[in-house]
Amino acid sequence: MTENILEIKDLVVHYETDDGVVYAVNGISLAIGKGQTLGLVGETGAGKTTTALSILNLVPNPPGVIKSGEILLDNINMLSLPARELQNVRGKDVAMIFQDPMTALNPVMTIGEQIAESVMLHHKDFSKEDCIERAKEMLRQVGIDDSRAADYPHQLSGGMRQRVVIAIALACNPKLLIADEPTTALDVTIQAQVLALMKQLKQEFNTVMLLITHDLGVVAEVCDEVAVMYAGHIVEKGSAYDVFNHTLHPYTEGLFNSLPNLRERGEELVPIKGMMPDPMQLPTGCVFAPRCPYVMDKCRLGQPELKDHGQSHFVACIAYDSEDFKLRRNS
Amino acid sequence: MWKYILKRLIQMIPAILITSFIIYFSMNLTSGDPAMLVAGEKATPAQVEQVRQELGLNDPIVIRYLKYMGGMIRGDLGTSYVTKQDVFKTFMSRLPATLELSFASVLIAVLVSIPLGIYTAVNQNSWKDTAGMIFALFGVSMPNFWLGLMLIVLFSLNLGWFPSSGRAGFQSLVLPAVTVGLGLAALITRTTRSSMLDVIRQDYMRTARAKGASERRVIYKHGLNNALIPIITVIGLQLSNVLTGSVLAETVFSWPGIGRLIFDHISKRDTPMVTGAIIMCSILMCLVNLVVDIVYAFFDPRIKAQYVQK
Repeated sequence: MTENILEIKDLVVHYETDDGVVYAVNGISLAIGKGQTLGLVGETGAGKTTTALSILNLVPNPPGVIKSGEILLDNINMLSLPARELQNVRGKDVAMIFQDPMTALNPVMTIGEQIAESVMLHHKDFSKEDCIERAKEMLRQVGIDDSRAADYPHQLSGGMRQRVVIAIALACNPKLLIADEPTTALDVTIQAQVLALMKQLKQEFNTVMLLITHDLGVVAEVCDEVAVMYAGHIVEKGSAYDVFNHTLHPYTEGLFNSLPNLRERGEELVPIKGMMPDPMQLPTGCVFAPRCPYVMDKCRLGQPELKDHGQSHFVACIAYDSEDFKLRRNS
Repeated sequence: MWKYILKRLIQMIPAILITSFIIYFSMNLTSGDPAMLVAGEKATPAQVEQVRQELGLNDPIVIRYLKYMGGMIRGDLGTSYVTKQDVFKTFMSRLPATLELSFASVLIAVLVSIPLGIYTAVNQNSWKDTAGMIFALFGVSMPNFWLGLMLIVLFSLNLGWFPSSGRAGFQSLVLPAVTVGLGLAALITRTTRSSMLDVIRQDYMRTARAKGASERRVIYKHGLNNALIPIITVIGLQLSNVLTGSVLAETVFSWPGIGRLIFDHISKRDTPMVTGAIIMCSILMCLVNLVVDIVYAFFDPRIKAQYVQK
């Protein structure tokens, strides 16, 4: 049994807006062990970013409210920390890489200052020169010449900005790195570079990573474990190998089917029919039931629990109550 | 950067030429014969005609304008019809009083309104926000002279803390500066609030929080620095307004500034004094604008980069 760096237990997050309550995250549980990378996969609006922000206790409030649950980072509950201690943990024990590098950096501060700030906030004993020196070292580590420390974000390309965001995140050597769609806003060629860099730095800094993405290719490339999220629920969870090769949940199957196949070009894509439910009005039964090709009457009775299907491969689907159920992909 | 400043200074020349032309011609259209004014009520027509000759009023207006501009380059804006004193010297003697009042009131406005604007933005939609906005609305709607009179009643007549009029040292500056400053504070508060509301929602604020920066640091270091451009714009506009036009406050407090100078001499139809003072004011405004544009570059590296390219 490996020690868990991050444990999320029954997290529920709502956005209470004037128009109604948005059920963004509805009781999810996750854990990441030492040295692991967990991929959190799902469509836009599935609640991935809300989950990530909850870990830092940064869900914008109002309107976001963390209703219940526990988030243990190295056995400290992030949700009950007072503001001051929370500031000490943010950036130092857990850091985050944001989706859009074009807007994640402060436009009126040099990139060197922005990395140095991260160091300065958590090393009160460092002089200003020490912080700048550390910032330059971080720049070199993410593959940017340290002479560019005095540059402003507008002088850098998107890929370089994302490298700076990574440098900020890793500057204090965090135990947990959350990467929220780190490559979505980048060109494909730059995506590969940034992913390789993140993989390499994760090894060097000996940190664990929560990688949020909708890109299954990225997951296959980087992750050890995968959790598939749909409408605020985790519907499947297991090792990357199992989820890719012995897919259990119909939604995960749908995701794989909607990938273009390079070897059989011209073949028609098979998208998942319909739309993700409005998070203000979730269906009463299984949240995926309205789009599920295997749907049965009993699916509409309640959200199925996440059950172990052997070898720590979990799935939330009542079809597996009958032993001979198989997805088309697996038969 | 220096190249940019030089370029802007050169661009000021046509601007000043155009404004001076408009001012000179419109002043010329005002009713009344300056020669009669100068010669006095009891002068004979011959005497008036002589004065008219001396003042060069028989020349076509374009010639007079050119002569006037020629004088201006040498710092000669003519002589007042009323006081018989040099216009330029009179203007310069009044300038320190106006500069003092302008900068003091803008300083007070900034000290009140920027913290208040940030406070209301951070507490958006709460009762604190509403209270701050009511204060700002009050500041906008309250007539300057009325506030001045109220302050005089309270602080000089009843409490006797500050003099009610005149210009004699720091104490006499307090009431006029507060009067003008509170009027300015309203607009700066509203601008600060809306600019901060824009900035608060930006991603880099979240990045700063995720780094572990305190809320205070996030708001002041990351937020305010990004929200400053519109705020500086408004402060610049306000500054050029008070430099040229705090007539009401200057009158209420008998403050010997430029606003009153112009006002007094308009009523006496002293064309050279009014023309000269207004032209000088327009030059001041151009300079303030230039300074504001330079200050932009200081706070926003993207704007600086544009200046350097040009």
